Amino acid sequence: MRISKGLRLAVVAGLLATGAACGGGSDSGGGGGKVELTLLSHYSDGPSKDGLDKMIAEWNKDNPKIQVKAQVVKFDDLLTTMTVRQTGGRGADIVSAYGLWGGQLMKANVVAKVPDDIATKIKAEYSPAALGAVTTGDTLLGYPTELNTYVLFYNKKILAAAGVTKPPATWAELADAAKKTVKRDAKGNIQVEGLSLIQDGDNKSVHPFLSLLDSAGGKFLGPDGTAQFDNEQGKAALKFEGDLAAAKASNTSISPTKQFRSGGVAMAIQAGWWIGSLKTQMKDKYSDVGVTAIPGPTAGSKGSLAYGFFMGVNQRSKHADEAWKFLTWLNEHKTQDGKVTETGKWLADQGLIPPRTADQAEYKKSLPDPNLAPIYDAATYAMPEPNQPGAYEAKTALHNAIMTVLADGKNPDDALAQAAKAVKPQ
Amino acid sequence: MTTAVSRVGAVAAPARRVGKLHREGLAAYLFLSPALLFFCVFLILPFLFAIVLAFSDWGGFDLSTLKWAGFSNFGDVLSFDGTFVKPILVNTLLFAFGSVFLATFGSVLVAYCIDRLSFQGFWRVLYFLPVVATVVAIGNVWKMMYQPAGLINAVLNKLGVNSVGFLSDSSYALPSVTVVHAWASIGGAVLILTAGLKAIPEMYYEAAEVDGANSWHMFWSITLPLLRPALLFVLITQFIGGLQSFALIIVMTGDGGPVNATNVAAFEMYQRAFKFGAWGTASAMAMVLFVIILAITLLQLWIARRRGEETS
Repeated sequence: MRISKGLRLAVVAGLLATGAACGGGSDSGGGGGKVELTLLSHYSDGPSKDGLDKMIAEWNKDNPKIQVKAQVVKFDDLLTTMTVRQTGGRGADIVSAYGLWGGQLMKANVVAKVPDDIATKIKAEYSPAALGAVTTGDTLLGYPTELNTYVLFYNKKILAAAGVTKPPATWAELADAAKKTVKRDAKGNIQVEGLSLIQDGDNKSVHPFLSLLDSAGGKFLGPDGTAQFDNEQGKAALKFEGDLAAAKASNTSISPTKQFRSGGVAMAIQAGWWIGSLKTQMKDKYSDVGVTAIPGPTAGSKGSLAYGFFMGVNQRSKHADEAWKFLTWLNEHKTQDGKVTETGKWLADQGLIPPRTADQAEYKKSLPDPNLAPIYDAATYAMPEPNQPGAYEAKTALHNAIMTVLADGKNPDDALAQAAKAVKPQ
Repeated sequence: MTTAVSRVGAVAAPARRVGKLHREGLAAYLFLSPALLFFCVFLILPFLFAIVLAFSDWGGFDLSTLKWAGFSNFGDVLSFDGTFVKPILVNTLLFAFGSVFLATFGSVLVAYCIDRLSFQGFWRVLYFLPVVATVVAIGNVWKMMYQPAGLINAVLNKLGVNSVGFLSDSSYALPSVTVVHAWASIGGAVLILTAGLKAIPEMYYEAAEVDGANSWHMFWSITLPLLRPALLFVLITQFIGGLQSFALIIVMTGDGGPVNATNVAAFEMYQRAFKFGAWGTASAMAMVLFVIILAITLLQLWIARRRGEETS
């Protein structure tokens, strides 16, 4: 009897503890009618952190009753942090999330519905690529923030030295340039990689593939989440990558983010944000860098992938109205000269494409770097990264399929068929 | 009167004993209650919750979105079309068996050698250092050593052997990580085995020496059989540790790659739950792993009991 009482006490205490842990969102209400909002993001260092902190400080100064507090983690820890904190009832009021996670965050009731008036404005004022990357089904997840497109980076000097006089405009030219520029030492170790298709992590293998798939007219997932890549276009794109790996013009052990700057990579399919890093790392040698659209199988065809981030409001936030008020200000208030929004400038200063159409148009008028032009152009034709529930899992399955071809020399058709089987619509 | 008193006393004495026992029991339960509460909150309740989740479709965060899914999660997990059975479960077992074999063999050898050396404390501390160091530090150091331009490849190059992609080649990645896990576990096992060695009476060796036994005979016929209880403990704990290993994989390979070559069950569970929001599948995987660990542990205990070891 005593034992059962003790056990009952333990279970009740455990349930209470669990209930407390799984309870409502963070109670960030302060005293005296003051509200404190928390904003969780991956803008943890450098200009991205400084810029956001500056805007938040500006808001806090003008809005003493609604104070915003930034919480930052590294990108690699963002989803886990969000998951753990949300489960523990300590989710931030405003979450900055990668578009790919949108579907699963929506399914799990993390992201609140965007109020109709705000959604209408966002849909009217943001570029299709940005909207596509942060919309699941018909549901907009929040304000689009970062927008990145994929392009082909190349080292002009290495291409010229190999007798390639103009950037490749078809897959055949791309393969030819990759094979001409690759260099190996006597032991067969790669000194210069022809074309980097990047290796570690889902993004780094899937994004280049999806860009090539887009250039061939293919698709990643259907609106219902079914695999669409296991077809003629998908097989052609993966065979193209596999052939380059088999010819040793592409190598999975080379990291372009480390070796491109020192002339160890001739060409790389990479996202636009890389511009900022390359300028800092290469200094004077940055003038050797050229950027062009990722070519397709035939002349005139091109493709890219657009992925985005968004800032949405936590469904458990007790101060949703204040959070939307802040987000609206954050995304709409303009710089002193009134030409672009402060957020647009913050993103453009980092080499990212401002997702707001008006900001994009303003920046496109006078791009400070000709290499930015193909990146901005890509926003008009890039395939938005799908983000329905299950998209992240599908991406990982595709990553594994790509790697079996690039690293293990598996048949592309079999690899894609296996990946397609692993994609389960939710 | 005397009789009556003694009879009353005869009844009262057991009653006092019962009362004392009652009080002692109450005190024992009171002392146990914090640990019991801890187990309930952090072990029993999550375990029960995981069982419920294994039969559900849940994206995390909000319990109102939890849906009954029957056995479909187990169907997905155990399907041969998926990746869990092969390569993930196969990787897990290879990793566990490989690391247990290497660590046990290595620790027996090391403990036996140390037992015959001077400055035994120093050697034990030396081998125990990896246990004290964090997995992250160990993983990162070995990761650097395994790099194409790392220490191990430099030695191989000196010997005229081309560089090996220890962590980038899917054929080498799992053995490479297994070796590190085994190496890092040796210290703890050595400590336990040394205690086991110290418990073996010296007279057995003296008698064997008189009978003309050599070192190998003494090791095989005295040391190993008498070391069995300690070895059993080492085997079981190492095996469970190997099957549940997670941190080293994530540190050394990041995503269980290349091409799932180092993906193990615990890592896949983490991915499914925290990365993909598929808590139902993750919990079903946890249940499958739990059953496997339980079965292997019971098998080990059963084999040990058949050989007459005291395991309780």
